[in-house]
Amino acid sequence: MSRRAPLVVALIAFLLPLLWIEPRTYLTLTIAGLAMGMLIFLVAAGLTLIFGLMDVLNFAHGALFSWGAYAGFTAAVLLNGRWGWAAAPSVTANVALLAGALLAAALVAIALGIALERAIVRPVYGQHLFQILITLGATIVLEELIRIVWGPNDQVMPVPLTFQGSWDIADVVVLRFPVVAIVLGAAVYAGMMLALNRTRIGLIVRAGVENNEMVQVLGHNIYRYFTGVFAAGSALAGMGGLMWAFFSQSVRPAMGGEQLIFAFVVVIIGGLGSVTGSLVGALLVGLSYNYVAFLVPKAAIGVTMALMVLILLFRPTGLYGTPR
Amino acid sequence: MSAATSPVELARLEYRHRRLRAPSLYLRLGLVAVFCLVPLAPSFQIVDLALKIALFATLVASYDVVIGYTGIVSFGHAMFFGFGAYAVALSLGKFGAPTYGHLLLGFALGMLASAVVAAAIGAFSLRVKALFFAMITLAFAEFALILAVQWSQVTGGEDGLSPTLPGVFAVSFDAGRALGVAVTGRNVTYYAVLVICVALFLTMSRFVHSPLGRTLQAIRDNELRAEALGFQTFVFQIIATSFGSVMASVLGGCYVLWVRYVNPESTLGVPIMLDVLLMVIIGGIGTLYGGIIGAAFLITARTLLPDLRAVGAALFPGSEILQRMADRWLLYFGVLFILVVFFFPKGVLGTLRDRMAGRVGSARS
Repeated sequence: MSRRAPLVVALIAFLLPLLWIEPRTYLTLTIAGLAMGMLIFLVAAGLTLIFGLMDVLNFAHGALFSWGAYAGFTAAVLLNGRWGWAAAPSVTANVALLAGALLAAALVAIALGIALERAIVRPVYGQHLFQILITLGATIVLEELIRIVWGPNDQVMPVPLTFQGSWDIADVVVLRFPVVAIVLGAAVYAGMMLALNRTRIGLIVRAGVENNEMVQVLGHNIYRYFTGVFAAGSALAGMGGLMWAFFSQSVRPAMGGEQLIFAFVVVIIGGLGSVTGSLVGALLVGLSYNYVAFLVPKAAIGVTMALMVLILLFRPTGLYGTPR
Repeated sequence: MSAATSPVELARLEYRHRRLRAPSLYLRLGLVAVFCLVPLAPSFQIVDLALKIALFATLVASYDVVIGYTGIVSFGHAMFFGFGAYAVALSLGKFGAPTYGHLLLGFALGMLASAVVAAAIGAFSLRVKALFFAMITLAFAEFALILAVQWSQVTGGEDGLSPTLPGVFAVSFDAGRALGVAVTGRNVTYYAVLVICVALFLTMSRFVHSPLGRTLQAIRDNELRAEALGFQTFVFQIIATSFGSVMASVLGGCYVLWVRYVNPESTLGVPIMLDVLLMVIIGGIGTLYGGIIGAAFLITARTLLPDLRAVGAALFPGSEILQRMADRWLLYFGVLFILVVFFFPKGVLGTLRDRMAGRVGSARS
């Protein structure tokens, strides 16, 4: 099959719901779906690189997602409490709050990610079973720590005024925050593609995904690159968590676990180790979830699974996965 | 005649001889005897604890077939346990007065559903990478949980189902006393479930020591080599995961027999899966019998925990920090998880076996 086949499939899946949904609603749903897809992509992209490069399946990725969300939440509450940046009708203040919260989320996630990689993942390289078990243990601990620090209940996320509400463009309701999420996701994708394809580090990382022994033979300390990739992946997960918190306007300790399952599905759909694959997979999942949630609310989770099964039937290695 | 004494057969003969003389055989028989005597205990709590240990030990063993002997991580084991539980509860609750036929039907349906789903998931995921299995079963388990909660006309939603049991298993059944044990529905169920557990244990022991089981271990240890030897590895892996899942669903049915109640959280949920994982690690991955140790430790700890907290509150009255710390037992659970994997990766039984093998080895040399 050609490389374009996935895109054709994606396009068909994208247009099919028009048969049942009227165009305006369809556009609103599409934007929500794209936003959700972009947020899942943030989580899945880090996961897929970590896996592709070092064959490490990081179950703690979801916990980093939650930690990012809570760190950003704290930053947002502090900034809003001191200067009222979320409640102020000024666009600059609102954007500054978003940037500050994103920075906090990314930094906390990076710190945690590096600590995790050094302390927990490194001793069990090459042993899948123990990697899974130990990152699972880390997930439990990290999630419990969130409950201890921030309490076990849901909390309301302060959303900056600029990003609340919606624009009304030609009778189509366009929620504001999803647009921000889409822009951020697209920027991250572009940045990742640039970094991977145009820089020396990206070259080495890509080569490592292909064949990490060969890269080591050529004299590169793959472990150091891997720590970097792990940190970058963690940062993406943390930012994804924060964006998701803005999106759903709340933070919950268990939010990461739920998103991790979506991210897994996306990584499987897209093909392990492929960033483009996770983008396409994430958008597919986000869009189909939103369409079906509108048409048949109860089947929304089922459609994600059905999508995965369907794709695996035709492409056992995922859309962009390379056969072993 | 030379075919009859192939090296494999010789090894098996020697194994059989050794087994009869091994102390562990008597240990096992003794353990079964202890479990048989438990209903004599005065308090129902002890009986309940014992049977839950037996149930979960068998469940952990069935998980060990998948994780330890086949080397495939599944997060769907609790889901298959739940399949069995729900199948039995549904078939007892939905078709009028329950009969033994319904009970059998429930078990059969649960086993069938588990086998089909496990084989399907395996067919999708194991073709590519055994690791896919972990991710896909996790997704499916979540899906099953949501389904059980939302599809409330059938599954009873969060409230779950509490079926009534037929004939000798019913709560009201009472036929006096025999051999010092009251022949009540409770005790009949206890022995029935115990017999099933022992039978399953024997089946699994047979399974992992059969040529098929050996092949699975070969695949676990070196998949490429097994493939090169001509084994269609993923077919074997599918057989193993389906086998383990069917065992789990039978145990799910037994769980309903004993508890007479099923809800999403107690059978399908992630916590059950985590419990089983921790039990298998504590007991020792790839030991089959380690599950008994893991289950005994964890379930006893779980049962005693409220008492411990009461003791802690009595010893240090007014210490709120201690109380709050005690509330977060899941945290210690996670820490224990990491520590065991790090420092005790072979578990209790695995480490013990290594010690014994080491002693024998050094005595020989």
